[in-house]
Amino acid sequence: MAGTEEKDNADSLVADIHKKITEAFDLFDHESNKTVDVREVGTIIRSLGCVPSEAELHDMLHEIEEEEPTGYIRFEKFSIMMTKVLIERRYKPTPDDQILRAFQVLDTEGKGYLTVEELTKYMTEEGEAFNQEELEEMLSAAVNPDKGNIQYKDYVSEMSQEDT
Amino acid sequence: MGCSPSKKVVRAKNATKRLRAVVRIQTWYRRYRANLEARRRCTWSIFQSLEYAGEQDQLKLHNFFNNMLDSLVSDGNSPAPLIRAFNVNKRASIYDTQSMRDSGGEMLQNLLEGMEVEPSYKGPHLTFPLTMNQLHKIVQSFRRKLTLHAKYTIQLLLEVRRILKTQGNIRYASTSLSKQVTVCGDIHGKLSDLYTIFHKNGLPSVNNPYIFNGDFVDRGQFSTEVVIVLFSCFVMNPNEVYLNRGNHEDHVMNLRYGFVKELQMKYKQHSRKVIHMFKDVFSWLPLATVVDDQIIVCHGGISDTTNLKTLAKIDRHRYMSTLQPPGECEDISTMDTQDLIEWKQVLDLLWSDPKPIDGCQPNTFRGGGSYFGPDITTSFLQQNKFKLLIRSHECKPEGFEYTHNGQVLTVFSASNYYEMGSNLGAFVRIQGAELECRVVQYMSTHSPTHRKVSFTQRINTVEKSAIQDLKEKILASKHKLLSEFKKCDLDNSGSISSSDWCCALETVLEIELPWRTLKSKIAKCDNNGDVQYETTFDELEVRHRYSGNGPSITETLYRHRENLETIFRLIDTDHS
Repeated sequence: MAGTEEKDNADSLVADIHKKITEAFDLFDHESNKTVDVREVGTIIRSLGCVPSEAELHDMLHEIEEEEPTGYIRFEKFSIMMTKVLIERRYKPTPDDQILRAFQVLDTEGKGYLTVEELTKYMTEEGEAFNQEELEEMLSAAVNPDKGNIQYKDYVSEMSQEDT
Repeated sequence: MGCSPSKKVVRAKNATKRLRAVVRIQTWYRRYRANLEARRRCTWSIFQSLEYAGEQDQLKLHNFFNNMLDSLVSDGNSPAPLIRAFNVNKRASIYDTQSMRDSGGEMLQNLLEGMEVEPSYKGPHLTFPLTMNQLHKIVQSFRRKLTLHAKYTIQLLLEVRRILKTQGNIRYASTSLSKQVTVCGDIHGKLSDLYTIFHKNGLPSVNNPYIFNGDFVDRGQFSTEVVIVLFSCFVMNPNEVYLNRGNHEDHVMNLRYGFVKELQMKYKQHSRKVIHMFKDVFSWLPLATVVDDQIIVCHGGISDTTNLKTLAKIDRHRYMSTLQPPGECEDISTMDTQDLIEWKQVLDLLWSDPKPIDGCQPNTFRGGGSYFGPDITTSFLQQNKFKLLIRSHECKPEGFEYTHNGQVLTVFSASNYYEMGSNLGAFVRIQGAELECRVVQYMSTHSPTHRKVSFTQRINTVEKSAIQDLKEKILASKHKLLSEFKKCDLDNSGSISSSDWCCALETVLEIELPWRTLKSKIAKCDNNGDVQYETTFDELEVRHRYSGNGPSITETLYRHRENLETIFRLIDTDHS
């Protein structure tokens, strides 16, 4: 009895995950033909709650791209890969306290804030660099208008509240 | 000499630590942005679904009305006239045109009889021919929230009518003198957007011609002002201002989507005459404009049967509303083939939408016009030796959009259409010998103290508004939804699985939306993801009291609130 119940739960879990993936995919399927632009796949994956780094994203794309890259990703391949990722709970988001700690690491002088120059330098010159648009958007919300710098503790807690 | 090896190691370790931290933050931020983007699209699809569901209702109106007749108590004094006035053909959902016709060829000039301007009137006194100075006075008075007196409004409309009658169904614009022409899309009563356009692009003049591609009225709060300003510009420059008819320059649409209501409010005892004039003038608006024989501009789009020769010969004035068969046709089953063909030509031009899939299908979303694919566009453009179709009719987040491999350009000029921050508005400047199209985008803000709102705040505001609208729709179907929910709640726990919840909503509301994604914004969920379905109806003020006696009349009425208003307004204007 318990066995079948478990199986039912597992089945409905997969069905539910499949529906979630379909919904997220459809939001970006502009031509209603079950394909999305490859450049938006990262956004779709992240909107489903997975947080791969750019490098990991690259690998995922490689798995689901057509042999002859068309610039589009088809739903079937995406769905298969994404289902696995969600069931295995891969690429889980970093908890907020670790993000806070990351900011603290960058705050080498232990000031409790980062200057605009510092953050800009890190975000655009190191790691998986931001482009201009990403940088501007981050700064527009992160910079405290009164102090003119990034009070990262406040910033992190604001972001976690807004992110539903 | 350099550092000691241990210092080097420490430095390397720190560098790695830093790199990891940077990547962590970048990844975290990208996740946040992706979430915002998904929410934005979700919100957008809510607004669009609700908007088109509403338009489709228009043509399903007859079902509701038949139901309503059943529950109305017959007063014995021949309900027949009432029924006859709203006799709807069972084959198609249309009204009897009798109630809409001009009452016995009333001379329009008579409308001005007995209409004196009171001394208390503070607005401008118009004299014709209109001058730029007078337009400025008109704009100033609008800023002071004054209404142009009915007498002058009607005089303006009479003048517009006189000129429009001399213009063909399809107008031909040339850039030989001006070297450019500007095309604007839907404005829908957003006066601030019209001012923004004129501010950025200048007022219409001989050197600055404009094509306004329909939908000047309905939905926004200032339809009257918008159309008066446009018509004023038109009478001053009838050869440089091109007004295309949109699907909202239509009496039936105006009854439902706010223009008639606005006129009643602003013109009070004179409103009936003003409404009558607008109804008439709208039917005289041309249907399309062609620029330099190369670019065709029309409100909706085309279909596989669109034929400009046929269109040119139609008597466009017969279509008070494109939702009804023309003029004197009383019954769709008695229409002759030629009339049917012509009616379809007009409907297609004003109601169609481009779709990425080849072919041509009836536009079931809207209830009129067609869905036309890239192949239809290609062959139409080729046949007519055009290089581009510019149309409007659909709101776009960026205010414009190219489709069909650049052969179709949609331009939409009402910014913040759904809500503050929902979308940009745009207009197109066609310039040079090559007729290059340059798009200019804008977003009009209302208050001068409007501070720059972050992207996140914009999304939040717009999303909240969309969910509110969606909840209204949900509430209107509360009884049906509750019974569906209860069917799935076998153990009476008050919660059902999210699949069951999503399924119920889709079945009852008949709108396709990402319900799973929206779930947490609409209802409360248990820890395991199940939905406490009664909370679906929370947080919205019920305007009518739910009587609890089965599908209450209140609910039915609320669900068809907009429909009801249309019907009553119809009764009002024609039988009062």
